[in-house]
Amino acid sequence: MNMKEIKKIGRNWLRRDAAEKLRGNPVFCADLTLENPLTLKVLRSTHAHARIKRIDVDRASRTQGIARIFTAADIPGKNLAGIINKDHPLLVPDKVRHVGDAIALVAAETETAAERALQAIQVTYEDLPVIRDPEEALKEDAPRIHETGNLLFTRKIKRGEVERAFDDCAVVVEKTYRTSFLEHAYLEPDAGAGYVAADGTLVIYASTQNPHYDHGEVASLLGVAHEKVRIIQAATGGGFGSKLDLNTQGFIGLALYYLGRPVRYVYSREESFLATAKRHPLTITIKTGTDSQGRLMAMRARILCDTGAYGSYGIAVASRAAVHATGPYEVPNVDIEALCVYTNNPFAGAMRGFGAPQAAFAFESQMDLLAGELGISPLEMRRQNALREGSFTGTGQKLTASVGIRDCLNAVKPFYERVMEKWRHDPAPTFKKRGVGLGAMWYGIGNTGLQNPSTAQIEMDPEGSVTLYTGCADIGQGSTTVLSQIAGEMLGLSPGAIRAVVADTKYTTDAGATSASRQTYISGNAVKDAAGKLVEILLTEASNLLKRPKESLIVDSGLIRDKNDPEKTVPVTDIVRRAHEKGLSLKCQGSFDPVTEPLDPETGQGVPYATYAFACHLAQVTVDVLTGEVEVNRIVAAHDVGKAINPAGVIGQIYGGVAMGIGFGLMERYVPGRTVSLNDYDIPTCKDMPDIVPIVVESAEPTGPYGAKGVGEPALIPTAPAVLNAISDALGERIYTLPANLERVLEAAVAAGVFPGSHGVKQPA
Amino acid sequence: MEPCRQVPVAFTINGRAVSLEVAADETALHVIRDRLLLKGTKEGCGIGECGACTIVVDGKAVNACLMLAAQLQGRNIMTVEGLIEKHELSVLQKAFLEDHAVQCGFCTPGMLMSSCALLKDKPRPDKGDIVDAISGNLCRCTGYQQVVGAIQDAARRLFGEKA
Repeated sequence: MNMKEIKKIGRNWLRRDAAEKLRGNPVFCADLTLENPLTLKVLRSTHAHARIKRIDVDRASRTQGIARIFTAADIPGKNLAGIINKDHPLLVPDKVRHVGDAIALVAAETETAAERALQAIQVTYEDLPVIRDPEEALKEDAPRIHETGNLLFTRKIKRGEVERAFDDCAVVVEKTYRTSFLEHAYLEPDAGAGYVAADGTLVIYASTQNPHYDHGEVASLLGVAHEKVRIIQAATGGGFGSKLDLNTQGFIGLALYYLGRPVRYVYSREESFLATAKRHPLTITIKTGTDSQGRLMAMRARILCDTGAYGSYGIAVASRAAVHATGPYEVPNVDIEALCVYTNNPFAGAMRGFGAPQAAFAFESQMDLLAGELGISPLEMRRQNALREGSFTGTGQKLTASVGIRDCLNAVKPFYERVMEKWRHDPAPTFKKRGVGLGAMWYGIGNTGLQNPSTAQIEMDPEGSVTLYTGCADIGQGSTTVLSQIAGEMLGLSPGAIRAVVADTKYTTDAGATSASRQTYISGNAVKDAAGKLVEILLTEASNLLKRPKESLIVDSGLIRDKNDPEKTVPVTDIVRRAHEKGLSLKCQGSFDPVTEPLDPETGQGVPYATYAFACHLAQVTVDVLTGEVEVNRIVAAHDVGKAINPAGVIGQIYGGVAMGIGFGLMERYVPGRTVSLNDYDIPTCKDMPDIVPIVVESAEPTGPYGAKGVGEPALIPTAPAVLNAISDALGERIYTLPANLERVLEAAVAAGVFPGSHGVKQPA
Repeated sequence: MEPCRQVPVAFTINGRAVSLEVAADETALHVIRDRLLLKGTKEGCGIGECGACTIVVDGKAVNACLMLAAQLQGRNIMTVEGLIEKHELSVLQKAFLEDHAVQCGFCTPGMLMSSCALLKDKPRPDKGDIVDAISGNLCRCTGYQQVVGAIQDAARRLFGEKA
């Protein structure tokens, strides 16, 4: 297609859902008004690992205002959920595996009545040994948290001759890196609501990233036909991976199934912290070697992922951490093993980046350590090892197009050189030290070596109006706007003129999860496919009518016209009428599934992703060696997104990703049993934010819609490594455990001898 | 448990006079959302950490979850619903829309209320004033940059360039 004709793509379009949110309209689950609803609440385990000997609900059931109390015995279908491995009961039947496990569900007339009933339920526990440490969980004699054992999954990636390659390396660095549990801390606590429709369908409003998954899961829990359940995604106030698991959907389904009355369930922030997924803490021991020129030759890594009590997305996290452990670099010899292990900690699931942010902290720290040993600049170290077209990855995939890592490094280069020359050496205030760091990353778009299709429909009605049907949940990232732009581009219409029916299982088909930065690429292609089929029908009819070859016709603003002869036009509505008369359907189905190859279970060789996003961040920090406080002064963030369909949206993702990356790097840590709410879990405020310079790099992906890939998760990944490398540059001492909070920074300052009390450092007068 | 004592309160909200009986332990947030059914004000944490429930009370930004309903007595309250001007988005809201300051939108009403109070107090704020004003409003999506930009834009549109 002639690029000049593209008008809707690459322009800033206003978010379709923003106006109603700005008005304060009741669009979130907690805002919905239902007729005389019951309130739901769950009794959650106070023990981390225990058999349940008895649940006594008699007294609680007789308290005032109680409609019913449910336990596992009341679940009519299969009492196990989980998108990858089904190990997570809705209500535990016999055993609790973490503090927060759901034991009983109360349906009550009021919030107060529900609270009273929760207090009256008596649970008799028989404690079992509690395992908090995944290394302990792997021991042969460790108590089994699940009957299948504590090792949930292993991903191995082997390529080349690692031992021999290490022997030949000039420089080898081996270190262990650790990260913490993190809370997603989306602003909208999990919530849901539901009612039974006149035809008996259970209608459930959900705050979710994957309505079609919820649909299947609720039907399975209740043992009912799919048609009996309808999931409607309400406005969703952020998700970042946690709202890929069920939160309230199953409980609402269960109450509707038995009681038939409208119900609502809104988590308090405390319950959201207690009961939902966390980011996996990873322990990564990584050994990396180069030749004397600094070319990466070999890498060995052992990655331990603590998935807590349940699998959730743990398998995907371990797999992705392993695949991404090399970073965006060519490493000819690799031996990587990632283990995903059950413990009695809170369950860990998907969180923006699926293990790639943790891996990036490790591999990017290694890059700086190696560069230091070799005496070459961190930027050159990255440039000379960066993947390029024709490179092979650790899984043996040959990259053939859209490898924008060099472009990202080159985009950052002038900033890097300038700050290294001047800013870094400018006098800093007393007791403050300046540092500069780089963080690069790659990120495979979509699920790892698995099918992950999306479907969509486009329909034109007799008046020529267009409706887009997509199952793709927009959780604030702006997918509905992007998909409308793609449909609009294809059909020559303003994106705003396209009616969008989104994420309602009654009217849309499965678009897969809003995860893995996959929706622009995969659902974008599905929408483009559907719209393309509609255009094809319209142009075929118009070609007959106008007696012009189809190739010379285009659809634009309600007309079909000849590109070479502007006089030759016909209104789209005329064509639609002809099509209807002929009995042609103008509702077209589109689909897309990226081409991948499953990873070999022993060697991990295969094609995990059809395409990769790339990025590099530059961080400038000022470290206060008296307090351990780190001020991030500036982040320059270059991202290869393939093509920015909605540039303002891409930049918004970059800004938000940088914020979350600063949280990951410097302050966020969820301590099981201690962290309760936003009172003791800090996320970045406006005051923690640096100046951010976003740079959009467009290395077009041939299989992407208009060249697009994805940006949602990539935005977060390089920030923490860049900040940590900058702290190390400032102090001359490295931190190997995240977050780099005040205590760790001070410890590093003391170890480096730059803390004023340290031996040998002269205090300024 | 004894039912809480009821207290009569009268106040103005979005220009409308309201009088009702509230429980002595009821929060202003509860009255706004569940009694007056103004659902624009959000509950994000219930303990004054996130700012999603920010309202404007006599010109000042306040966390509605930390204010007792009884304290509404005699006050002039504005919530996000009060920003609309003749069914249209206000200048501040339009700036948020056009500057891409809304992602998931859950923090948005609170952000609008904090910036509304700021602009009433200080029509020509500098960036530091804006950062101060919204530093109690958590946002997990935007990284705040486009929010700060939108407030700067709104100030310019309403009151002209900073002197």
